[in-house]
Amino acid sequence: MKKNSVTLVCVFSFLLASVASLAQNADEIISNYFKTIGGAEKFEKLTGTKMEMSVNYQGMEIPVEMVQLKGGKMYLKINFQGQEITQMAFDGTTAWSTNFMTMKAEKMESEMVENIKQEANDYPDVLLNYKAKGYTADYLGKETKEGTECYKVKITKKPQTVDGEKVDNVVFYYFDTENNVPILTETEIKQGPMKGQMSTTTMSDYQEVDGLYFPFTMNQMGQAMVVKKVTLNPTVDPSAFSFKE
Amino acid sequence: MKNYNKLLVALSFIFAFQVQAQEEIILKGKELFGDIKARQIGPAIMSGRISDIANHPTNNKIIYIGAAGGGVWKSSDGGASFSPIFDKHIQSIGCVTIDPNNPDNTIWVGTGEPWTRNSVSIGDGIYKSTDGGLNWTNMGLPKSDRITSIIVDPRNSDVVWAGVLGALWGDSEDRGIYKTTDGGKTWNKSFYVDQKTGCADLVIDPVNPDIMYASFWEFRRTAWSFNSGGYNSALYKTIDGGKTWNKIHNGFPKGQLGRIAIGVAPSKPEVLYAVLETEQDKDKGLYRSEDSGASWKHLNSDFELVVRPFYFSRITIDPRNPDILYKGGLRGSISRDGGKTFKPLGNMHADIHDVTVDLHDSNRIYVATDGGLYRSWDSGNTLDIVKNLPLSQYYHLSLDDEEPYNIYGGLQDNGSWYGPSKSDGGIEARDWHVVGYGDGFRVLKHPTKKIIYSEMQGAENIWRYNLETKELKTIQPLAVKGDPKLRFNWNTPIVTGIHNPDRIYAGSQFVHVSDYMGQTWRKISGDLTTNDPTKTNTEKSGGLSVDNSGAENHCTIFTIAESPLNKDVIWAGTDDGNVQITRDSGKTWSNVTANIKGLPKNTWCYHIEASVFNEGTAYAVFDGHSKNDYTAYVYKTSDFGKTWTSITTPEIGSFARNIQEDYKNPNLLFLGTEIGLYITVDGGKNWSKFENNMPAVAVHYLDLHPKTNDLVMATHGRGIIIIDDISTLRQITPEILKKEVHFFDRKPFVIEEESSFGGTASELEFVGPNPNTSGQIIYYLKKRNTFGKMDLEIQDTNGNKIVTLPAGNQKGINIVSWNYNTRNPKIATAKTLSFGGFTSPRVPEGTYKAVLTKGKEVYTHEFKVVNDPKSVITPSERKLQAEAAKMLFDKNEELAYFVYELDELIALNKKIIEKDPKTAKANNKIDAEFNALKNTMVVTTGDMYVGAAEPQLREKLSTIYASVAQQFDAPSPSQKDNIENVMDLYSKATTSLNALKGKYKTKLIDQGTKLGIPFQLKSFDEFLKD
Repeated sequence: MKKNSVTLVCVFSFLLASVASLAQNADEIISNYFKTIGGAEKFEKLTGTKMEMSVNYQGMEIPVEMVQLKGGKMYLKINFQGQEITQMAFDGTTAWSTNFMTMKAEKMESEMVENIKQEANDYPDVLLNYKAKGYTADYLGKETKEGTECYKVKITKKPQTVDGEKVDNVVFYYFDTENNVPILTETEIKQGPMKGQMSTTTMSDYQEVDGLYFPFTMNQMGQAMVVKKVTLNPTVDPSAFSFKE
Repeated sequence: MKNYNKLLVALSFIFAFQVQAQEEIILKGKELFGDIKARQIGPAIMSGRISDIANHPTNNKIIYIGAAGGGVWKSSDGGASFSPIFDKHIQSIGCVTIDPNNPDNTIWVGTGEPWTRNSVSIGDGIYKSTDGGLNWTNMGLPKSDRITSIIVDPRNSDVVWAGVLGALWGDSEDRGIYKTTDGGKTWNKSFYVDQKTGCADLVIDPVNPDIMYASFWEFRRTAWSFNSGGYNSALYKTIDGGKTWNKIHNGFPKGQLGRIAIGVAPSKPEVLYAVLETEQDKDKGLYRSEDSGASWKHLNSDFELVVRPFYFSRITIDPRNPDILYKGGLRGSISRDGGKTFKPLGNMHADIHDVTVDLHDSNRIYVATDGGLYRSWDSGNTLDIVKNLPLSQYYHLSLDDEEPYNIYGGLQDNGSWYGPSKSDGGIEARDWHVVGYGDGFRVLKHPTKKIIYSEMQGAENIWRYNLETKELKTIQPLAVKGDPKLRFNWNTPIVTGIHNPDRIYAGSQFVHVSDYMGQTWRKISGDLTTNDPTKTNTEKSGGLSVDNSGAENHCTIFTIAESPLNKDVIWAGTDDGNVQITRDSGKTWSNVTANIKGLPKNTWCYHIEASVFNEGTAYAVFDGHSKNDYTAYVYKTSDFGKTWTSITTPEIGSFARNIQEDYKNPNLLFLGTEIGLYITVDGGKNWSKFENNMPAVAVHYLDLHPKTNDLVMATHGRGIIIIDDISTLRQITPEILKKEVHFFDRKPFVIEEESSFGGTASELEFVGPNPNTSGQIIYYLKKRNTFGKMDLEIQDTNGNKIVTLPAGNQKGINIVSWNYNTRNPKIATAKTLSFGGFTSPRVPEGTYKAVLTKGKEVYTHEFKVVNDPKSVITPSERKLQAEAAKMLFDKNEELAYFVYELDELIALNKKIIEKDPKTAKANNKIDAEFNALKNTMVVTTGDMYVGAAEPQLREKLSTIYASVAQQFDAPSPSQKDNIENVMDLYSKATTSLNALKGKYKTKLIDQGTKLGIPFQLKSFDEFLKD
């Protein structure tokens, strides 16, 4: 009898556990995530990050520097053969890139700029204070990604404009159920020859920088980017963001 | 009491789990297969059957199609191209419906093709997406088998009706019209006729949503017959939102009816069209009503209107003109006079299943055929196929031993083809060759000669085609004196001999053998089937419309297998359930069917696989779906069929057709089922579904290439799908799965010498990817690396780093590619980029190490790299190439350093002039001298395109470096001359630099020091590292 009651307790706790896991909601998952990576308050205090990275193409490593500031200013510079080429930059009003034929700066199309502006507050993390940004988060259940059990959360951002039409702006996050951090995101490709297919990014090698955790390896559809160094609250020459005629 | 039961279930679940956990590690496919991904190579050139098209009601850029066996595809560019959006789910589609209230987001899919030919697949319910097709949820109706129509109430998206045609091969109570009022959470059967009669079509009045029309159809297939029609087929109407349904037959003939197509004119809803299958030929065809179905008038019995109603019952009416209508058919047809007369549509693939008309422009139409989707801009006069829909429906395949190997196979209504497993720039339409007409099935390459055998339906023709002489002969076995009528299956087995390459087997009810490539035949068996006369009368097949295509030929041999180990051991399996074996080349046969315990009688023997390990061992796969039985039946014998063991588990989700045994590991088996591929690594104790880039598509045939170890699948809806080199799976054992990290052994990597030229396809054409020819380092991780650093380095055997590679981090199998490159050279900074800077020298052949570092743990694995055995380049030539590449590599880096030093001196000089303007006069001269030299060393002006400057030393040096480093053979005399020339320029430049440095360097440093301007030059090594 005693044995039976023990088993019964086990069963109940098992059932309770499964009920609890069903009751997972997006808010809890996201708040656990921020707890895991150092706390939302610390991320709120960030004024900017500089990431020195390397794009690795089957062993060929190309240095990339990405700076993002609170409020949306950003640039992405590639270093090719000692030359720094700004692949993309945004100074708060103008977004621009470098034409590889002329090596001169060119302004990005206004639709794209509007889309970038709209997400200016995504720094330092899309998920930070997502409700205040007008985003919604829905928990869609568990799914196995990267061989690992994950919570799937759908983040709906403000619609973007593509070719004159408003289109949905959704990111699916997969949080490793054991580690509480996202290990994969998916977004639908909205234009170009791969339109309609999913763009997948994986995140791994989460490492600590002054009490905050960042994924040090990201892989977007087979293209790996490895972070070499993260500088928090960097000092940056403001002219690096602005368009040069 | 009820709760107590639940508790028991929970308990037994927990105990079962514990027991399993102790004995073995059971991984699901998603936790194991990792980076092992299928490669979908199409082809799309012949595409495949499409059952339904759905156009967005307000945005004509959005179109969905449902394929007969290839899932749901979405176009966002007005039908120019499509992407698959339903790969995780069953691929046979009945209908796609867009919610008119939320057309950008809510999409419904009814699974199970409604065009009930013999080879039709099955569905597993109704699905809903609320995000435009990104994610899908099965909303129930699991036993519906085929859903023909879904209607969303235009007033309320939660109200949805589904028309369920239901089971084809047996009785079913899951037919009729189902309704949900909660968005699909629960369904009620709102109208039902009987177990034999299902809903073939359901349409709604475009103005009054309380009015709907439903056609009901009595139909049934067996493996040997088809019946369309009965007294319960009827056309119904409701005017109260589906509460009551009444027949509207005023003007229809009495007696039995078959399949009925129904259409409502969108611009004038009282005009209806119906196409009827009736008892009398004179009554068949098109009927029109001008009073919402109160009365009907017979208009037309043209061939296109009455042909094969089970296959072509679709009417489409122009959205703006009630008198323009399209009817599916053999060629499809259009009427512009309200149905009185029709003309056929233009040239396209035959067998038209659906037509839709553009939202704004009636000239723009879309047509679903047996061979893909067509677009027209002139209402069907001229048509253009969509070229990126690889929906090809293979029945069978075979492989040859060429490099790269070719894949041969036949398709539903699309003939027989062969094409390569790899081609420059990817596998495109241009790579595929036709080798047969009609419905294609088995296509075989002669094992040693340039000869192909192919076959069309029911062995109407077996062709022998000589690729060299172009000789084409028909060689099928023919009846000889004393023979009964030879019964060949629609998908007749033909097999080439393993022990005699000129041998070919063919199966009717007899096994026929030719040892002369089909020139003469002899029978080596009696009738091996049940020869049941009640199953061999196909002339009467069809029901109200005779349909004697040959597709119902029954009591035939379906599979023949020769033992690879003993030429006298031959197996034959029949479509009526017999398994027969001879051990004396056909002198005597034993029927071993009765030894298979648990197999229902007369279950179709779809495939026998004779083992490579033991001549008494074989696998037999049985498919009961044509008896309405969706169980997977797979058996193994090790004693020539005396005893059999079932090797299936409940993990296998549907019926199976084919099994492939590995050649090295007898426990590794691959099973092709109706819903995709399953793999076992323990001889069938556990099966895992393989889902990496592998849709849940019906796999009709599998083959494993003996040289490449590629698993090649003939799918019935998604073309040829390959899993490259499955040898990793051979090595999986419970011990390995317990290790934190395990590197799999690999065959030596071959540095392939291949063309870098691309293909010819436009972006709207499907291109099948090539296999990865890089070296693939494969390892298993027990746990995903999410926190902490993990690095993968390639080193030589002495531990010198060659490159760092991005490590795979997932749980399960990770594959990291390396293209044998070492580091690329550091190139002098200039105004523009130099191509040579992106060129890395390759490593020589030899032994290397992969070193995986995770925290303090280091895991090492050695592997070999070898040169391309096809290459004619000698080792000494390779050595000269490597030496020249190394020398030029070094010179590029040295030049980079010289330019750096020069730039630093120029900068220092500038600062001096700025700080002390008195120096300007003298120092500007120095600056001019420095820059004059620099201008000969690197380009300092121009752009990357047509504004490029005249190349200078850096450009010349890096260009010759890049071409030497990329080639495999020694530098040619011409290249050597060029190297000499460049090196001459190089030494002139360095001499000049040294002279200038001698003249000014110390002076400038002194000037700078006095002015407080520090000067610190990096060493060469520091410079390289930076």
